[in-house]
Amino acid sequence: MHSEVFSHVDPAPVAAKSEGGLLGKRVGVQSLFCVQGWPCEGGSRALKGFVPLEDATVVQRVKGEGGVLVGNTHCSELGLGVTRDSAARAVAEKHVDAAFMIDVLGEARMAAARAGLFGFKPSWGRISRFGLTGLAPSMECCGILAARWKDISAIFSAIASFDERDPSMVVPSELVAEGAQTGSGRNGMVAGFFPQSLERLSSEEREAFSLALGELEGAGVTLRQVEMKEFHLFPVAHQVIASVEASSSCGKYDGVRFGHRATGAKNWNDMYVKTRRESFGLLLKTFLFQGAYFQFENYAAFENACRIRARLVQETRKFFRELDMLVIPTQDNARDAFQARSLKELYSAFSCTLPANVTGQPALSLPGLYRSAGRDMGLQVVGSYLEDEKLFSLADRLVAHREGSA
Amino acid sequence: MSKDGRVFCGSLKLSHVGQRVHLAGWVDALRDHGDVLFIHLRDRSGVIQVVFSPEVTPSHVCRLSESLRNEYCVQVRGVVNRRAQGTENPHIQTGTLEVSADELTILSGAQTLPFPVSEKAMLAEGGARRTDSVAEDLRLQYRYLDLRRPTMQENLFKRYAIIKTARDFLHEQGFMEVETPMLTKSTPEGARDYLVPSRHFPGQFYALPQSPQLFKQLLMVAGLERYFQVTRCFRDEDLRPNRQPEFTQLDLEASFMDDHFICELTEEMVCRMFRVGSIDLPRPFPRMTYREAMDSCGTDRPDLRFGLRFVEATDLFQNTRYGIFRQVLQRGGCIKGINVRGQSEKLSKNVLQNEYAREIVPSFGAKGMTWMRVMDGDLDSNIVQFFSDQEKRSIVERFDAVTGDVVLMIADPSYETVVSALGQLRLHLGHRLELISPHAFCPLWVTDFPLFEATEDGVTSNHHPFTSPHGDDLDPDDRQGLLSVLSRAYDLVMNGEELGGGSMRINQKELQLKVFRALGLSHEEVEEKFGFFLRALDFGAPPHGGLALGLDRVVSMVLGTPSIREVTAFPKNRSAFCPLTEAPSEVSQDQLKELGLLDLVEVPSVPGMGERGELIDSLSWAARIGLGEEEKPAVMEALKEAAQLADVAGQRAGEEEPVYAPHRVAGPLREHQTARVCAFAQTGEVFKNAPSVKGDYFKVASVLDP
Repeated sequence: MHSEVFSHVDPAPVAAKSEGGLLGKRVGVQSLFCVQGWPCEGGSRALKGFVPLEDATVVQRVKGEGGVLVGNTHCSELGLGVTRDSAARAVAEKHVDAAFMIDVLGEARMAAARAGLFGFKPSWGRISRFGLTGLAPSMECCGILAARWKDISAIFSAIASFDERDPSMVVPSELVAEGAQTGSGRNGMVAGFFPQSLERLSSEEREAFSLALGELEGAGVTLRQVEMKEFHLFPVAHQVIASVEASSSCGKYDGVRFGHRATGAKNWNDMYVKTRRESFGLLLKTFLFQGAYFQFENYAAFENACRIRARLVQETRKFFRELDMLVIPTQDNARDAFQARSLKELYSAFSCTLPANVTGQPALSLPGLYRSAGRDMGLQVVGSYLEDEKLFSLADRLVAHREGSA
Repeated sequence: MSKDGRVFCGSLKLSHVGQRVHLAGWVDALRDHGDVLFIHLRDRSGVIQVVFSPEVTPSHVCRLSESLRNEYCVQVRGVVNRRAQGTENPHIQTGTLEVSADELTILSGAQTLPFPVSEKAMLAEGGARRTDSVAEDLRLQYRYLDLRRPTMQENLFKRYAIIKTARDFLHEQGFMEVETPMLTKSTPEGARDYLVPSRHFPGQFYALPQSPQLFKQLLMVAGLERYFQVTRCFRDEDLRPNRQPEFTQLDLEASFMDDHFICELTEEMVCRMFRVGSIDLPRPFPRMTYREAMDSCGTDRPDLRFGLRFVEATDLFQNTRYGIFRQVLQRGGCIKGINVRGQSEKLSKNVLQNEYAREIVPSFGAKGMTWMRVMDGDLDSNIVQFFSDQEKRSIVERFDAVTGDVVLMIADPSYETVVSALGQLRLHLGHRLELISPHAFCPLWVTDFPLFEATEDGVTSNHHPFTSPHGDDLDPDDRQGLLSVLSRAYDLVMNGEELGGGSMRINQKELQLKVFRALGLSHEEVEEKFGFFLRALDFGAPPHGGLALGLDRVVSMVLGTPSIREVTAFPKNRSAFCPLTEAPSEVSQDQLKELGLLDLVEVPSVPGMGERGELIDSLSWAARIGLGEEEKPAVMEALKEAAQLADVAGQRAGEEEPVYAPHRVAGPLREHQTARVCAFAQTGEVFKNAPSVKGDYFKVASVLDP
């Protein structure tokens, strides 16, 4: 079955289990998530006709906790951007209680913000990526969208345990050690904001953002202005690194083991060139060519980007000695992620969400706090790395305060 | 003895015994006997054994000698002694002598060698060392070490001696050596020219000479009468195992002489050159016209070291019942054969039918081969029943066949196919049946070549357009007539290899113009390409002719080396690459820019591609992602952006260690874990998603690169 919201729908969805933390929760996943027996084409000819042989770990766990897999939502090609994504719509139109969406640049938060939903990107290494056909392994996470805040935290606790099939997962022992280091011994909530993230806002949006900050203060949050002078380097590092990773991880789309295969190739090389010419759309191709450029022509640029990333990670983590969260707008009106047709537009639109992908920190886009021009813009709170649970408890208080005041 | 009192190692004789000498050279080999150290000291002249013994050598010298290693460059002083009976070394010329060292200076040390240099055994029972097993590219990479080997030094020395012999001889004969330019004009057939860009004339090129042809003819017009030159020529030709992009040619030209003079002169010179290698060539060199060579050996460079000449048999089968022959003759074809004398034992029915008739001869371009073994005056063959007694008798008679002979025949509608296939068969048999003596040298002049050869739409020169025809009645518009015109060209062939060639030249402008016209060149083309030369023919050009000898080939043949690289100091390898200097190499954009070469690159037609056209193509190939024309502008734009990102990243990167993920990842290839076999691979389920499967394999386009 096929619809505007779903690329595949289970005609008779049932829970695999009759008990568990997610009992009865209806979940949709992008067609980038492997569900055994469901087509998983990732919005790309490269995966044409691909039917996974097993479930992604997150899918398996949803099923294991009594959740119901409803269907696959549409996505932009291999999850790059949100222009064709329907995950948020599936939630907003109540087809599902929650949707899983790969967040590589901030797609999950962006889509949630636009639809007035909660959008959560976990710390990198907290949720298994086994069975996700993504683009940039060091940047992307399994994002969760939901209309109700409690669904997000419930799903997170149901799916976030260690999975040895994902070698990038943080092992539980490290998790405890890391978590013990930061923010401990402080009881209040200190939120940082930095002017560099507000530079591109219109005066009206700034006004709205100030109002949002005021609401936080009302909820007992202490605000502190910080400086992030190298904020403009996040997109540079992200684009160089992610394009290289995409170029590398798209190497598997060769039309040999799955996906589309071009006809009439003269030889093996020709088969690759033709197949991959026909497999990828233009936006993804430009990304893959950038990656190929760094890989084959300018590898120093990739290493330099990784050095910059190291510094950005260090600098950002320093803030969290004194802060519990950073508050950043999720989006602005001038740069519409849903209309982004080029890499330039894409990276410009996601410039406030992608820093969390660069540093791996948990980030949550909250609805209802930051509104401008009659639209919910989404207020993004970024937590300390690997301390997702702490971010949840902060969010609990903000949500409770807002619901109380509403 | 040289000025500084140094004596050459190889020059030591019994008469030196008792003298204290000063030697210098390289440590060829060492033999350590505890207290006593023996070394072979090598210089260009040879090898001498030097002994460091506590009995005669001061202790500090002995200590120093312990640090010696192969190929250390050293200076030694000591007394020449006669070796004790029974310790002589027959492998070196100075094997009865040794030098007891009392002084040692290490002039320069040497690292571990990439391959052994030493060729001389230190002990009587030791065998000669061989470097055959060393990869040639390694030898070429360290050519200066390779050239230290006595064999290579001998080759270079003999090369020098052979060339000097030629120079001396030509000097005797009143020839003078004149140098002609290396930066010349690209010739009309210049597809194989090496081009040299001119900085002063941006976008224009000199060409390195493929031969000094026009200049030497101009020297004749200039009245030098007898010219020669040992010169380098350059041809960017397809790679062949025994071909170099640059090669040395002995080029000569003489005025007022006929072809007999040139050939006589060349014979005498070549004989002297071969004598350097102790090879006596039979004189006079036999002559064969091109036609005779093709008729009897199927090639214009016959190897006369063995027989197996062709026998014409077309006329024997005018009324034959044998279908294949009849059809060939009906189509105007020809039948030729070879009598392989006394080889019926080696050429069994099985070999003849299954190897030669089925495999080998078809690979030479003929459709098949007819064979007959002569047994007791009768013919034995798989098709002999098709021949009449009369035909059998005439075969035996024509081929002069007796018992034990094998008669092979090839029939084809095309004469060229018959002689070409039979010629290759002749060589194949010559080698296989070991009919070729390794010590035989059979020179031959091949003369009277056709002046032209046919092309699809006209004719082209067989040698070059300056070769004189026999006579001057030449109708440029009669294509068939042109193909029958013979030239006054002559090739010197030795053992089936062309060593050189030359011709009498045209010295009349009218005739030269006719030849150009026959070649289809317009007035404008002639003027543009040869105007300067034709003008010279207006000013009293003498009759003249000459020849060019490939010196690398001559030297290689005299010395019996497997390739011309063995007689060239710094050759390119088989791929025309120099492993030593790594030429050819890329040059900087700045160099190209200064030479005005960047502007020559054709601007791609797709808008926006500009100078990044090549980058997009190379990335498209490296990433194996094809692009439609309509996609290119966006990809170009993305690449421009990528370069900008790289700039920013370069400017802003600090000293931090790069990180590749938010936390350190052990990686999927963790150590101490054995590889897992995917269950889906075992069940075969992995094939479910494959576009194409064959058996237990993913099926892909079958050919890598046709």
